[in-house]
Amino acid sequence: MTTDPGSGSRPPAIRVENLTVSYGPRPALLDVTLEIEPGLLIGVIGPNGSGKSTLMKAILGFLKPDLGEVRVFGRPVEKMRRRVTYVPQRGAIDWDFPTTVAEVALMGRYGHVPWWREPTSRDREIARNALETVRMGEFAGRQIGELSGGQQQRVIMARALAQEAEILLLDEPFAGVDAATEQAILDVLERAKEQGKTLVVVHHDLATAARTFDRLVLLKQRLFAYGTPREVLEPELLRQVYEGNLAAFSQLAGEGEER
Amino acid sequence: MIEALFEAVLGPLGEGFFQKALLGGALVAIPCSVVGCLVILRRMAFLGDALSHAMLAGVTGGYLFMRLAFGIAAHAAAMLIGSVLAALMTVFMINFISRVSRLKEDTSIGIMYTGVFAFGGVLASFFAEKIHIDLVHFVLGHVLAVDSTDLWVSGIVAGIVLSTILLFYRQFQVTTFDPVMATSLGIPVAALNALLTADVSFVVVSGVGMVGVILVVGLLITPAATALLLSTRLSRMMLLAAVFGLTSVIGGLYFSLGLNVSGGSAIILFCTVQFLVVFTVAPRHGLLAGWLRKRRMVPQQMIEDILRAALRADSAGGATRDDIVRYLHGPHSRLEGALRRMQREGVLTREGDRHRLTEHGRFEARRILRAHRLWETYLHRMGTPDDRVHETAHQLEHVHDEESVDYLDDRLGHPVLDPHGSPIPADFVHATPGREVRSSLLRDGDRAVVVAIGPIAQESPLRLGTVITAGPREDDGDTWTFRDAQGTEIRLDHEQADEVRVEVLEVSRSDGD
Repeated sequence: MTTDPGSGSRPPAIRVENLTVSYGPRPALLDVTLEIEPGLLIGVIGPNGSGKSTLMKAILGFLKPDLGEVRVFGRPVEKMRRRVTYVPQRGAIDWDFPTTVAEVALMGRYGHVPWWREPTSRDREIARNALETVRMGEFAGRQIGELSGGQQQRVIMARALAQEAEILLLDEPFAGVDAATEQAILDVLERAKEQGKTLVVVHHDLATAARTFDRLVLLKQRLFAYGTPREVLEPELLRQVYEGNLAAFSQLAGEGEER
Repeated sequence: MIEALFEAVLGPLGEGFFQKALLGGALVAIPCSVVGCLVILRRMAFLGDALSHAMLAGVTGGYLFMRLAFGIAAHAAAMLIGSVLAALMTVFMINFISRVSRLKEDTSIGIMYTGVFAFGGVLASFFAEKIHIDLVHFVLGHVLAVDSTDLWVSGIVAGIVLSTILLFYRQFQVTTFDPVMATSLGIPVAALNALLTADVSFVVVSGVGMVGVILVVGLLITPAATALLLSTRLSRMMLLAAVFGLTSVIGGLYFSLGLNVSGGSAIILFCTVQFLVVFTVAPRHGLLAGWLRKRRMVPQQMIEDILRAALRADSAGGATRDDIVRYLHGPHSRLEGALRRMQREGVLTREGDRHRLTEHGRFEARRILRAHRLWETYLHRMGTPDDRVHETAHQLEHVHDEESVDYLDDRLGHPVLDPHGSPIPADFVHATPGREVRSSLLRDGDRAVVVAIGPIAQESPLRLGTVITAGPREDDGDTWTFRDAQGTEIRLDHEQADEVRVEVLEVSRSDGD
């Protein structure tokens, strides 16, 4: 609560302060404080039920915390909804829905179009550019059900880019994709980063976390670590967080030390 | 003859009741079908059914209220408002119950709508002498007996429903497609859901009067489902649904008049037949299209046979049609189509009467040959009788994805020859210059540099950076031989050869038929 917007230095993209969220006696998040600098690719890791998606919802301003607050570029998240966008898991979308690639990208503009007006030609151009950025321009007229998994992921990324939000929250974009698709998604993330976006990605696979992200957030209700992969993928730290799941990081610990 | 047809089409149009039925039917069917699009995309069909039943309580309640309070019988507006109120209350109860209990939504729908329907029934029979609701009409509708009040009600409902859908089209589209995204765009999702529920209640209420409580769901979802089969966009789906709704009213009414059967049933039956027709002939996803696609499809087996025939004749400048026919295992009625398709896909080129493999085609052909010979070796080792090895391998060679072939190759100890003594092509997918592979993949004449040595191979004289040339396999293929630059021979078994990783420098090209 000490953030001073007038201090001149650029405010952090996301600032989470003493955030506690609970759905019952056990908190989903407990006293999480975190500052994310703009323009980085951040991975959020932690075991199942560690509060990763709660943190995402909080950054989207979808929920009322018990305590603490989330600030986006120095202002309360409720006032900054437009600046943050959410990229759902592919499985959360009905791919049989009658709509085309171009229409899905254009949906990203709906938040900028008042309800009584049609999207302008500028809106259409932004949507088209977003499709080009993810290299899906030539598929604009396709029904979304005809796409491969990697193409589907790229279309929902294009929709998020068309929103022109500075912060993108992605929910497990790498879940269940093959190596080629993974590369395609990484490519899109890199391009978004080049455009100055801040990307926060919920991630499951510890083995690939080190080479994918600039910074990692290690979460299990509390914030256990935030920093470079090298700082976060500490065997001791991982053991605390993933107690019981020794197999998940036994090889990984070795990998961390090599770096 | 033509005159009779004229009479059959135009005759009824002169009748007042038929005009009213047509107009009323259209006013009901169009908004019903349009809203139905959102209903089926949101998987709310069962809810539509529930709302239509809940109406009975609303109709009776509205009737009784006006009768007891003002002494007016069968006040249409009151019954309509009562119906909508009953529908909204039912939805509220359904949501409430499924939220606070562990029950799934379909269960709470089932509980609530039967309960509300039964309450309506009790109310109607308890006040039997005060109330005159024709339950038969309620169940079957009375489209051939609509009066102007019905028309007014349907008209107003159509106006309200269609204008809300048009005004908030984009909002409905995005909340239906991805509610979470809609929320993050700042769209009031809960308000839109309530609005849609109200719209569904309205169209159901006005639809029950026409086709009855049981069939109204058909009017809600069948035209929309028919339209979905033909649409790639929601806007087009809504337009087509409206058209199908309208045609089923027109078709159904003539049908009912011609055969003198119940109007509501005729409309819905027409609707269903319309759906079945589209389902059969739809260009993309229809039954017929699927059947034709399958018929036109060239069997994978034929393509693979052609590839192998062409590979065999590769050194002769390509295979003639007769060469290929000799190689085919199945009927060759679709051979021409297959050849054309393979040319289009850049697998084959045609030079005079000979079909030649392209570079890509050669790669594919060798992949299949390799899979075939590995399968033969595998079957031989499994003890398959010799006379069946070839045929079975021929069926199994269609399992030639990279992973399966690699597995077979490793499991068999990277064999060089198949049981008939024919060479098995080398692993040309992985063992290519510049790539890092296990040394067990190297074949006679290949050159590579050692980049890693695992524990089991530590005792060999190999060191990192040693450049080795693979020699022939010995001991029935179980021993790998290599020579280093000084000409010293190095012998490894399968396990050791797997542990030595090398970067391939050069491969000898001496495999194939």
